[in-house]
Amino acid sequence: MSEIFDIYLVEALINGVLLGGVLALLALGLNLIFGVIDVVWICYAELIMLGMYSMYYLYSVYHLPFVVAAIISIGGVGVLGVILHVVVIQPLLTAAPINQLLATGGVLAFLQSAATIGFGIDFKNLGIRLPVLEVSEMFISYSRLLAFLVALAGMVALFLFLSRTYVGTAIRAIAQDRQVMPLMGVDSRRIYMITSAVGGSLAGLAACLLVLQYDVHPFIGLTFGPITFMICVMGGLGNMIGGFIAAFLFAEIISVGGLYLDLEWGYVFAFCFFIAMMFIRPQGLLARRS
Amino acid sequence: MIRRRTGLFMAGLLTGAMTLFGATAADAQEKKLKIGVIYDLSGPLAGGGSELHYLGSKIIIDHFIKQGGVEGYKIEAVYADAQSKPDVAINEAVRLVEQEKVDMLLGMFSSAQCVPVAARIDQYKKYLWMTTCISSAVLKDRHFRLAFRPQPSGQQFGEMSVNFINANSKEKFGKDPKDLRVVIIHEDGAYGVDVASGNELAAKKAGLNVVMKEGYAATAPDLSSLVTKIKRARPDVILHTGYNPDITLLLRQARELGLRFQALIGHGAGYGVYSKLKESLGNDVNYFFNVDPISIWLANPAALKPELLPVIKMVGEEYDRAKPDTKIRSAHVGMAASNTYLFMNEILPRAIKQYGGVDGEALRKATLDVDIAQGGTMLGFGAKFEPEAAVMAGQNTRGAPVIVQYVNDEAKVVWPQALAQQPAVLPLPSSSPYAVK
Repeated sequence: MSEIFDIYLVEALINGVLLGGVLALLALGLNLIFGVIDVVWICYAELIMLGMYSMYYLYSVYHLPFVVAAIISIGGVGVLGVILHVVVIQPLLTAAPINQLLATGGVLAFLQSAATIGFGIDFKNLGIRLPVLEVSEMFISYSRLLAFLVALAGMVALFLFLSRTYVGTAIRAIAQDRQVMPLMGVDSRRIYMITSAVGGSLAGLAACLLVLQYDVHPFIGLTFGPITFMICVMGGLGNMIGGFIAAFLFAEIISVGGLYLDLEWGYVFAFCFFIAMMFIRPQGLLARRS
Repeated sequence: MIRRRTGLFMAGLLTGAMTLFGATAADAQEKKLKIGVIYDLSGPLAGGGSELHYLGSKIIIDHFIKQGGVEGYKIEAVYADAQSKPDVAINEAVRLVEQEKVDMLLGMFSSAQCVPVAARIDQYKKYLWMTTCISSAVLKDRHFRLAFRPQPSGQQFGEMSVNFINANSKEKFGKDPKDLRVVIIHEDGAYGVDVASGNELAAKKAGLNVVMKEGYAATAPDLSSLVTKIKRARPDVILHTGYNPDITLLLRQARELGLRFQALIGHGAGYGVYSKLKESLGNDVNYFFNVDPISIWLANPAALKPELLPVIKMVGEEYDRAKPDTKIRSAHVGMAASNTYLFMNEILPRAIKQYGGVDGEALRKATLDVDIAQGGTMLGFGAKFEPEAAVMAGQNTRGAPVIVQYVNDEAKVVWPQALAQQPAVLPLPSSSPYAVK
């Protein structure tokens, strides 16, 4: 079989899809928040870091079952999202975008330092080693497969929430016109809070899955933060489907490029692709031409 | 009136004399060596071993402070956090020299920090004692006058692991060295590049079959395509140089993607922090090797100078007090402790007694005078430093690493033969998930 096609290429393609799932999950919440509130949470990856710590303490230290720990962590990070909105974002809603960016950047530095002081510098780990799926000489990681499936489910659930519920409709309406909708009776403050809670909860969900694959430390956000933003920008900030597609494109370029050349060339190609797309489609992959 | 003026004059004179005398006396009392100490106390490198080096150095510095100083000089340490970033390390080094007015600098875990900091500090003509970083690029062809490093170089680390597998090729792997498939992977900073280059040079010399050599960014979020590529190379032996958490990410993904090999040899940094490897990988870490200077608690006491033994005991006790949860004492703490002790106990007294002070020149002359035979440091090796004209000016020519193997929560020296505490378990037993089935 391996004479007909390169089995390692197939494995790299599958790895790319699974990595894409992880990245898509990361981009989902950030895109939702930007699409509705029009503010970029630079500190989004740090909320994920806090969610991972929450999982570590609840599961490994307090020995709660994984699912219970996950539910508490998702809810906890959702609450953190609301607090972030009320304390930092709300007072700056009408401020210049650069001020909003600097404020959430300040929160990023604050959360990293607070985590260093509060949790220490040691890498923490749940110690869970999921089994591996072996298919025809290829190996697939269950933890990545899980993240991929949850990303898909999260995407569908979010779509249903936004399209089938009253609150979801209000969120979409606010996203389309922030000025007019309050005049038509939509409580924009409440919608922003709900969006922040959902966005925070999605960060918490990502944390529950990432903690199965990565050690948690105060600076884990630096590993994911920049790449998540690039994916959101490439997909079109606020465009969830665009972000989803961008995540898989990005991951496949990294994975397949890294197989045939040095691993770092995979990242170089991915970043070059990003730069090229910024010239060709600056509004994002799925943006309509005006 | 005249009497009053004379009285005032005398009083002024007396006050001036007292001030002058007082200042001189205070100066005499305040003979002090102010050391700027730089390690990473935050950021990924802190947990990857740097904080343990900080602890080792601090134990020794505090020990000498408690003793009242060295040869009449009080010791004061100003600690700085490089935050795992080379730019911060440079800024902190400059701040320590310019604002804190330190007499010298000590420390630094990462070679990526040592390379620029050594060049910057050389411009200030300040003495630099590098306890940890190992890249040859720090010193090679730089001809620094005041920068010294007691640690063995990265090239030596690379050569050591290759010599080990070369010597075991036929007996343990059942293959001629030319048939032994070796994969070299490394983080792409100064440290990883230097060790990997040592691996490659030594492998070529020994005639080993290097089937793959590749670097990667230690902050990469995914290493699965690297793992797939290693699988394609079908390695017998993997030589890996990395920090943490990239080591645990690679090994976790290697397990998930079914990578198999007969031996894995790490080269210090993340591989030296066993407790973290164990926490992340569980028993999968069994039978891995690590190249590093010997742990001071594993060194053969009979081969060391007897006066070092109580110091080793003291460092161990302080280490346990600071980190009571430690399963295996990390070699990192001992490394920094030994290298700091070498400076405080050998170089500093010599500089004060023979060269009259603690300025850069006195410390330099004292360092070049050091001639310690094997067994004269806690790490078991000796000390003799290359002069300014040498290619590796400032390098300790007598430093040497060893290879330990982790077996059931114990680290045992397996190479070189003369220091081996037990034979190496090779190839990986079938109980390992990485073993070739």
